[in-house]
Amino acid sequence: MAVLPMKRVFICALKKDRKPVLELLQRMQAVQIESRDVEKEDELFSKQDKSEARALFERNSQTAQTALAILDKRVPENKSLLSSLEGRKAISVTEYEAMVNKRDQTMDAANRLIALDRECAENNAAVPKTEAQIVALEPWLAYDLPLNFAGTGKTTVFTGTLQNEVSLETIYERLNEFAPGVEDREVRIISSTQEQTCLFIICANKDAEAIQDALRKMGFAKPPLTSANPAEESRKLKEELDGLHENTKKLEEEIRSFENRRDDLKFAVDYFTMRAEKYEVISGLYQSSRVFLVEGYILASRSQELENRITSAYDAVVEFSDPGEEEDVPVLLKNNAFASPMEPVVESYSLPGKGEIDPSFIVACFYYILFGIMFSDAAYGIILAVVCGLLVKKYTNMEDSMKKLLTMFCYCGIGTTIFGFLFGSFFGDSVNVIATTFFHRPDIKLSPLWMDPLANPMKMLAFCFTIGLIHLFVGLGAKGYMYLKNRQYADAVYDVLSWYLLLIGCVLLLNTSKVFTDMMGMAAPLSSSAGTVAKIMAIIGAVIIILFGGRESKNWFKRLLKGLYALYGISGYLSDVLSYSRLLALGLATGVIAQVFNKMGSMLGSSIFGVLVFILVFLIGHILNILINVLGAYVHTNRLTYVEFFGKFYNGGGRKFQPFAVHTKYYKIKEDI
Amino acid sequence: MDKFGIVFALVGAVLAALTSGIGSARGVGMAGQAAAGVTTDDPSKFSKVLLLQLLPGTQGIYGLLIGFITMTQIGVMGGNSNISLIKGILYLAACVPVIIVEPISAWYQAKCSCASIDLVSKRPDQFGKAMIFPAMVETYAILALLISILAVFGVSGLSL
Repeated sequence: MAVLPMKRVFICALKKDRKPVLELLQRMQAVQIESRDVEKEDELFSKQDKSEARALFERNSQTAQTALAILDKRVPENKSLLSSLEGRKAISVTEYEAMVNKRDQTMDAANRLIALDRECAENNAAVPKTEAQIVALEPWLAYDLPLNFAGTGKTTVFTGTLQNEVSLETIYERLNEFAPGVEDREVRIISSTQEQTCLFIICANKDAEAIQDALRKMGFAKPPLTSANPAEESRKLKEELDGLHENTKKLEEEIRSFENRRDDLKFAVDYFTMRAEKYEVISGLYQSSRVFLVEGYILASRSQELENRITSAYDAVVEFSDPGEEEDVPVLLKNNAFASPMEPVVESYSLPGKGEIDPSFIVACFYYILFGIMFSDAAYGIILAVVCGLLVKKYTNMEDSMKKLLTMFCYCGIGTTIFGFLFGSFFGDSVNVIATTFFHRPDIKLSPLWMDPLANPMKMLAFCFTIGLIHLFVGLGAKGYMYLKNRQYADAVYDVLSWYLLLIGCVLLLNTSKVFTDMMGMAAPLSSSAGTVAKIMAIIGAVIIILFGGRESKNWFKRLLKGLYALYGISGYLSDVLSYSRLLALGLATGVIAQVFNKMGSMLGSSIFGVLVFILVFLIGHILNILINVLGAYVHTNRLTYVEFFGKFYNGGGRKFQPFAVHTKYYKIKEDI
Repeated sequence: MDKFGIVFALVGAVLAALTSGIGSARGVGMAGQAAAGVTTDDPSKFSKVLLLQLLPGTQGIYGLLIGFITMTQIGVMGGNSNISLIKGILYLAACVPVIIVEPISAWYQAKCSCASIDLVSKRPDQFGKAMIFPAMVETYAILALLISILAVFGVSGLSL
């Protein structure tokens, strides 16, 4: 339950040892390298610009990634649904070195893959073009001269098309009309469709001009010109097309043959990312001609280890110091097994800022309970806990964040099971429905260990508000704890104790009213003497808040006004407490939907067919209900934590500790093998 | 005329499921379009945007909840269905918060979900916060549901 203490570290080592020292730091994953900005670089030490080398590595990593994507597109990797849980594959240092030695071949393979893919794309683009050419030649297949045949020594030949279907007579008619007096001409129709008519016209050279003129007036268009005759040309094009298809097949075959290089490519992505990261760090270091300096933050617990490992192997100076008051020290949380699943929840709000405690533990204390009340079905809880528990157990290599999430749901499942039995819900009212429908024993049912919320909604509501009040009080207590820790004793009295007095007083006062206790279904109101005590408590609290709520103002008038405004904050507490009614609403929603499905399933009675329908509806219905309500419970537990609970004491604003480490995507390298 | 009690009560129950269902269908549909857009760009965000898409779906469930509770109380699902006119109207009144608030809150929650989906598409690490914005809208759907639940149970306890 803590924010891990950090120390500032300062390492000065010889430049010849730069590579091994940095690699040691990268493998230890304990130092966040961060050089303090110096106003002006002095003559001795300066930063080196390594952005060029870094860009090269990044480009290589990008290339490998692209090649991998090409490979994945053509040969999809066999991945099971749960493969995302498997985590990165671990490789030993020897394997690592073997892979590093292969990197040039791997990059060649990557470049080849990209080239193949490009060729394939060009090839594919040529296919429709060739196909279009073949289609254009089709009307001319019956013509046995080359389409660009211009004529013999004495004659001129025109080949081309007219729009629409035109008969031979019409053509002669129109030729007579447009080129009167030309008699020596011969027209043949090669083919004709509704859209166009393909023509062949031969005439004497002397009449060529007149005929051409006439044809232009008729809207004569030239055909696709070919030097071979159309049938020949078409055959050639078809061969070409076959060749293209063949080529695509061959290219794809070759791409597929790279399948066994997939692992190498993945490694290349990781390897070059790693190198790029290292060069990014190197650019941030101050270096002279002989030595280099590393500055940053280190986990205090690992400082000794770092010093030993560096000074024993290299000529270097390692110094530690405590970070100054003003420094924005990076934050890393560490908790026990019960609270550590809450770390991502806290982190996704904000990490603890300066002087704040790590709230993971107190969040955990309520998180599983709140989730349990909202999900509130024993069977669902068991399913959730067992499924998540088994996944965590099976996939030991799982990424840390995924592991924490699943562990969290596992614990939430346990909470749900407990509340499910307390409220007597097991797949809703399935026990009773099954006993009644199939065994005619309506007397058998799972009776709640505590109460049935559907039968006592007011009592359940009172319970939810009580949980909410406790949650808020603990939040307020955490604020008090932080004040005490930072030795702000007066603030603890003015901002925390005063509210405790006021709120507890008000709650007790409510309980002396008979109307209220009747409404909530409680036994008897508190006695009037208790009421007097409560009244005094509330008044003391209110007075403290009015007098000191605005204590930062010097002007007394302003200060009192601000104090009154602070007292108005009690309306905020009211709405916060009311917000916990969602525990009731979501809890009922789970139970009622489960009941609806049970009822639907049992409608066809106890025949064989009825049993089958029941099983089907039961399975689908409850799976659906689990999915919807896990989501609802998760979202609203987070909301209660972030808005109501954190609103009382927690601001966050810390930044995450990001040590210089190996940030890979596919592999992790096992150390010390 | 006194037989009409059950009519009013059933109208309330059915309207609760009806308007909430329409509201949620619209909301989830709208958020789904945004989610599909994000998934085109980056399929790995599917699970995150799916969760955000589902958030406006709860209103439909609340409507179903009230509809179901009311129907069991008035004996439509078996039991005594002899309800006085005044009680029937009271049941209808008890359903009104859900009938009106659920579809409207589903609509606004869907808008919020769309914005959050946009947020997640740009900053996937801020998923925790993105989830909270639509959840804030849901509070009012829950408050309406709460009043309707209490009212339905309250009416069934009356001897009118």
